[in-house]
Amino acid sequence: MRSVLHTKTAQTPSRGEGGGVRTGAPRKSPSAPPGSTARRRARTGWLFASPALLVIAAVTVFPVVFSLVLSFCEVRLEYGGLRFGSPTLAHYEALLTHPEWYRALAFTLGFTIVSVSVELVLGTLTALVLERLGAARGWILALLLLPWALINVIAAQLWSYLFNGTYGAVSWMCEQLFGTQPDILGQPVPAMAAMVAVDVWKTTPFVAIVVLAGLMLIPGDVYEAAEIDGASAWTTFWKVTLPQLRPIIAIAVLFRILQAFGIFDLPFVLTQGGPGTATQSVAILGYRILFQNLDFAGGAAVAVTTAVIVLGCCLLFLRVFRAQVDEGGRA
Amino acid sequence: MSLNRRTLLTGALSAAAAGSLAGCGGKDLDDLLAQAATVPRRPARLTWWVSEIPSRRGAVVADLIIRAFERRHPRIRVSKINALSTSDGNRSAIATQLAGGSPQPDVYLGDTTWPAQFGHSALALPVEKLLPSGFWDAYPAALRTGSTYRGRTYAVPFFTDSTYLFYRKDLLAKHGLRVPRSWEELLHTSRTVQRAGDVEAGFLWQAAVTESLTANVTEFLADAGAAVLDGRGRAALGGAEAERAFSLMAEFTARGVTPRTVATYEESDSQDAFVNGRGLFLRNWSYAWVNASTPQVSRVAGKIGAALRPGFEGTGRSGVSCAGGWSNFVNPSSQELGAAMEFARFCAGDEVQRLLAREAGVIPAMTSVLDGPEARAAGDPTVLRAADLRLVARPVQTPYYPQVSKALYTPANAVVRGSLSPAAGVRAAREGLRTALEGKAL
Repeated sequence: MRSVLHTKTAQTPSRGEGGGVRTGAPRKSPSAPPGSTARRRARTGWLFASPALLVIAAVTVFPVVFSLVLSFCEVRLEYGGLRFGSPTLAHYEALLTHPEWYRALAFTLGFTIVSVSVELVLGTLTALVLERLGAARGWILALLLLPWALINVIAAQLWSYLFNGTYGAVSWMCEQLFGTQPDILGQPVPAMAAMVAVDVWKTTPFVAIVVLAGLMLIPGDVYEAAEIDGASAWTTFWKVTLPQLRPIIAIAVLFRILQAFGIFDLPFVLTQGGPGTATQSVAILGYRILFQNLDFAGGAAVAVTTAVIVLGCCLLFLRVFRAQVDEGGRA
Repeated sequence: MSLNRRTLLTGALSAAAAGSLAGCGGKDLDDLLAQAATVPRRPARLTWWVSEIPSRRGAVVADLIIRAFERRHPRIRVSKINALSTSDGNRSAIATQLAGGSPQPDVYLGDTTWPAQFGHSALALPVEKLLPSGFWDAYPAALRTGSTYRGRTYAVPFFTDSTYLFYRKDLLAKHGLRVPRSWEELLHTSRTVQRAGDVEAGFLWQAAVTESLTANVTEFLADAGAAVLDGRGRAALGGAEAERAFSLMAEFTARGVTPRTVATYEESDSQDAFVNGRGLFLRNWSYAWVNASTPQVSRVAGKIGAALRPGFEGTGRSGVSCAGGWSNFVNPSSQELGAAMEFARFCAGDEVQRLLAREAGVIPAMTSVLDGPEARAAGDPTVLRAADLRLVARPVQTPYYPQVSKALYTPANAVVRGSLSPAAGVRAAREGLRTALEGKAL
């Protein structure tokens, strides 16, 4: 086994170990133009890039900065537009001292952890099966992608019909099997479980495709080496396949965390955050504050705090995951 | 030229600040009202944000109204924007558009629970000076009260909604039972018919965590004689009466008269179950009569009746209905304020109100139309009995109404599910109301 892992380490030096990965400031070549020419070229470069930069500023930077400004100001709607008052931390204070925000955060975190974990396991298993398939792989891939291709709101509405307590197929099946019609979306735990199930149904294909791409990139000789070393299938998976998949899994999980943390469509269509506030995600809470209460500054504060939390989670995840990859490489 | 990240960030911040300030160019309200006071003689184009108005004979009611207006005002053209039918979804969509300062739609149809919030947020033009004197004499007093916030009127009447108890007259006749006059009798009647296996559910209503449940809670509280707010607008919910109302909501599900899934029901869900023959009684808004009576969409068409809601035994109160409905609001950013105001007035006027009685499955706002020839010809019991209703208003005269509504529907939903006792539900609702009215609720 060791020989296999050494082979891999030699092929992909970790970041920061070798000068080949990290590049410093560009050196001046002997034929570099004099200072004024360089400045002129830089100006021309900025000129050509400026339309793209303006678009990015308009659609990305401006909304983010505007939300930040909103969240730190007293804001009032008046005839003719928004009126900005004095700077304040009141919106954050109101949010961070309110139990409902913590409940929404707990639901969102729980949903993210459970759904991403299940999707990761099922997605990896599916990818392993797909990799071994021959001619039928294309068809099965296409079928698998159907849920992923569905628009979120439509998928949610479809499941709301299936879960409907009056005429839903899932409710009917439960009644046939267990003799009682379950109240799936009307009770907190079943409603949360249903939401995770729908998300897993919809998003597992995405994880499977990403992992499958990673599997196909693993060179065959490492499996041959493992076989020569007498490794069982189980050992090969844990010691060869999984370590090699870690970078691609990291990317898949990162995408999924970002998506799952912003969950809005499913609770909006299936439960409207209910029963009570059991399935109210931070996105639903933000929507209510912003678009139902018409509290623009409060809604912006929810958006900013959520963004900070997601960013923190992602950075933490990347740091932890990178360390694991490094450990694998050193083993 | 050195552009680094700091420069870019500074530029973005400046742009955001400039954008913020750009939105601060306030308009003088007197100027807006002066513009709205004059109907233009030049050609004008209006847009009307309108959700589907239930139709009695298949015609698109909004189109009929537009055509009637254009006949009277040949220089003004009106086009409609189709809006959502649910109050919450509709509010989110229109509020986003109006808050951005969009001049369109010029006129929008909004829920009667919106005036205080929209007036407070400057999303609706105050219209009291633009209506003729004595205007409100023709409409229910509850509508005028609900349209007014801090002395200013933000909505022009269009149609009202009231709630009724719809029932299966065939099943009641089969069992020799009468239409219940009290909730206690309704529970007994429901169990009798359910035990005979003639119907799955006894009573269908709405208990999802939405405005639908707030309307139901308001009615049950009024049935029991409990107040939500006191005379000074403070939370007053409590006492034996309030607990009686909450206990009844819990009893429906506990005794199996209402399916447990009612905790996820909005109006359309309960109506679907009723028109498919799964319920004996249905509490719903008046428009359900048209839907349930149409053979193409209802299995129970011709087998139903409509009655006033019952009350509690011994209280002497029945026929309570939440005061609902939809009114027209004028967008203060409209470029055609005069024409927009004229259109809103036209929709409240005699011609359109009679058209509504004839063509629409709603209750016209103008009281004189309710017993007019058009209403009698339509024979809709929800219109003909509208004058007998005991209308109760939701606590809408606060800019924090969405939070107030949430304070009522969240604990009530828990009581219906059985996860909170009625007493605890009342306490939670009272506490939530207090926080909401102080503007401290999320």
